[in-house]
Amino acid sequence: MGAMIGSTFGTIPFPLPSDLVSPTGGMTPLATSAAGALGLLVTGVVLLRIERRGWLALIPFVVLVSLALAIANAPFAAAGGGPIAAALVAATLARDRRDPLHAECALKLLWVIGPALALSWAGLLLLTLTTGTPVPVEQWAVLALGLDPRFLWITALPLALLAGLVLLGGAPFHFLVADVLQGVRPWLAASAVVALQVSGATWLSQRLEGVIGFPEGRELVRSLLGFGAFAALGTGAVTLLVQRRPERRVGTLASLNGGLVLVVLATGRTPAPVDLAAWGAHLALALAGAATVARFLPTFAGQAPGAPLFRRHPWTGIAGLYALASLAGVPGTPGAMLWLASARSLAAAGRTALLLVLAAAWLATLTAAMRQWRQAFGVSTTATYAGMSGEQAALVAGAQGTARVPVEARLALWISALGLLALGAARLWWR
Amino acid sequence: MTEGIVRRLRGPGPAISGALACAAGFALLGWPSLFAAALGLELFGAGFWTWARVAEDRREQLPRWAWLRRPALALWLAAGLDAVGGGHGFGGLAPLSTPVGALARVSAIAVLWGALELMASLPLARPAYVRPGPLRAAGPWLPVMLPGAGFILLWRHADHWTRVPEVRTAAIILMLVSAALAAMRAFSRREWTSSLRWLVIVDCGLAGALVALRVVPDDTALLMWMGCCGGHALLLAGELSGAGTRRGEQPRRLWQVAVWISLASISLPIVTTLAVGTAGVASPLFALVAAVAVAFASLVSVRRMVPAPDRRVLLRKESAVPLAQVGALGVLVAGPLALLFAWWGGFDPRAIDALASLIPAAVGGWAAGLVANPLSPRQTAWVTGFGKASRYVALVLFHGLLAFEAALRGLLRRIALAVGAPARDLHTGDAQEYLLFLAGVAVLAVVLPLLR
Repeated sequence: MGAMIGSTFGTIPFPLPSDLVSPTGGMTPLATSAAGALGLLVTGVVLLRIERRGWLALIPFVVLVSLALAIANAPFAAAGGGPIAAALVAATLARDRRDPLHAECALKLLWVIGPALALSWAGLLLLTLTTGTPVPVEQWAVLALGLDPRFLWITALPLALLAGLVLLGGAPFHFLVADVLQGVRPWLAASAVVALQVSGATWLSQRLEGVIGFPEGRELVRSLLGFGAFAALGTGAVTLLVQRRPERRVGTLASLNGGLVLVVLATGRTPAPVDLAAWGAHLALALAGAATVARFLPTFAGQAPGAPLFRRHPWTGIAGLYALASLAGVPGTPGAMLWLASARSLAAAGRTALLLVLAAAWLATLTAAMRQWRQAFGVSTTATYAGMSGEQAALVAGAQGTARVPVEARLALWISALGLLALGAARLWWR
Repeated sequence: MTEGIVRRLRGPGPAISGALACAAGFALLGWPSLFAAALGLELFGAGFWTWARVAEDRREQLPRWAWLRRPALALWLAAGLDAVGGGHGFGGLAPLSTPVGALARVSAIAVLWGALELMASLPLARPAYVRPGPLRAAGPWLPVMLPGAGFILLWRHADHWTRVPEVRTAAIILMLVSAALAAMRAFSRREWTSSLRWLVIVDCGLAGALVALRVVPDDTALLMWMGCCGGHALLLAGELSGAGTRRGEQPRRLWQVAVWISLASISLPIVTTLAVGTAGVASPLFALVAAVAVAFASLVSVRRMVPAPDRRVLLRKESAVPLAQVGALGVLVAGPLALLFAWWGGFDPRAIDALASLIPAAVGGWAAGLVANPLSPRQTAWVTGFGKASRYVALVLFHGLLAFEAALRGLLRRIALAVGAPARDLHTGDAQEYLLFLAGVAVLAVVLPLLR
């Protein structure tokens, strides 16, 4: 069995870590993250069909498959995936020079992630230089002896974490996620964001593996990432309430989901592979649907009739809004379980202030989700039709509903919603 | 084909779907789960939104009822914190310094927030739901439905918030003050239907204070609330269906007595406990506020129920069946029955205290009688003059407080905007700006640990 899996996924280290094959987890992490990545890949491919078909779609397809593999690899905490995913996304965006939004996003990604990776590598090198080993668990053991100058490692460690923070999209880098979701083509946007965020989470998890055994380091990480989580959640919540474009709202919601990983890390422990896989799979599926539905949502400009998607295909619209609701952690969705798990970890760690900020951010996401829901359906057109004859009403309805909703987009919304339902059912089953 | 399109566009009736949402919301509020309560309030908001989005004046209605999401949010917060804290360890309240203690307090505040906002008892956020609602047919019922929902929420989750002493005290103050304000507003209004809407708020405030005081069993408090709030609600229903409750001298007298007794019944445990209760609970000032609310409510309830002339020559057959009077009889017995249950449950004040606590209701009722039947022309002139002046004072007091709250709210909003403006201007969206952010965060990440 192991050999078979190993031959299929060459990047997976074998033998598998013990907690991946534990009686409680089994192959759950791998299956979960792979399912999420597959859902995102399928929606990406379906959306790609709107723009390109045949040989023209080959390179984008390869890009999507590569990004899906990077997401599926989330529970194995391979920190090297971050730079590769970022380079792949930036290169794909920069490829089409006629698209100014793609070019701008590529520039922003390079402008931020490049220096962040450089700074983090400097931090990693400094840590390696100080301890004499590049393996994190060994580094903590060496530092625990107290032989090395303290200021060296307390300078190096925050720098080493910086790339993870940027990739995760926590504030003040939450604009980056929103920019990508707004400016990048639908087939790539969600995959790019999820791949970057998952890379950030794995970067941080891998770097902090075993830090719990080094009390001083753990305290430093607790305070630093606690500060980061505080900023990510607080700023994200405030930003969410003042944003007007649906794509940017979805981007901020994704950023807040990145904040959930920071929350767990701020308790001084790294997330278990199964938790990381669940988070990544949920983000992939929810963002696939939310980013797609956001393209059909109206930009807020007062009271207006509902968007064509919601007038012509209300159930499909609801499927899309379900994905958005899950991203926002609305109770009854799989996303709510992740928010609850993060909150419980904070309560267990005694971080009440951060827990209350998390609660405030959750309320902001609920508000945004409900606001989005109401704007999507808008004010009723029934009153307008009431005073008209059948022919007049048909003419007005035809004029208002001319905006076409591609069948591919509708399919993507349903895939995302069904995937989320399956993920939620699976989580409940395994609980 | 065109008819089919039109029918499809119309879909299910918004009036029915909104009503169903509100009914489901009410049902969920009675469920002993905070998540169910939050969902219930969310359904309430959804029901109002469904009505408002099809209303002719939707431009006014949609923003007017947007506040209904706030109580739902408060309940979501309470439910979430409850889920995180695992019930916050029922049986004993943990100290504030512990995470469980802090969560329990925030959760209790959230439940209270949601309920008080529905009951128009929250300072700075008193919703004006005495104005017409989004659905014409249901509009007059809103002032009954919303505070009623607030009280049911308070009552159902009483264990959750009353065990936090600070929250309990705050609840008593806020509900008694709002009851007194609502009673003054009812007194200052000339129309009987408008007064009735405010009297419902008085009833809910008094019943909520009774729940907070914890001197009678919760079920008894519910029965008392059903007596007084149900009485006023039935009167409102009667007013909206031809003032049937005021037609004929006997039914009118019966209603006057029934409503007065229900108010006196609910006031008895409140005033007794606050005036002469045990140390720590008793508060003469709060007792005075409660007495003012009860006295004004009694005065308005009895005095404003003037006889309505019956213009029909022949009574209709169904009028012979006094359905309205059956309601009055129910209201009449609910209060004393609840007091009996309370006594059975351990509420046993001294007879003199119990009699003294009935004074506010008695004064209100006596004043109503005096105003209705002055004994001399001089008394008539005095009553008329004093009535006008006192109504004017009540009006000024009510609107003055509301204006003060509005000014304070505006000030807070302006401060928030002033504080938030730089944060909004901070981001320009340039690529270089991200690099600056990165540099700033990197410096911060290096400096912060050194400063520890």
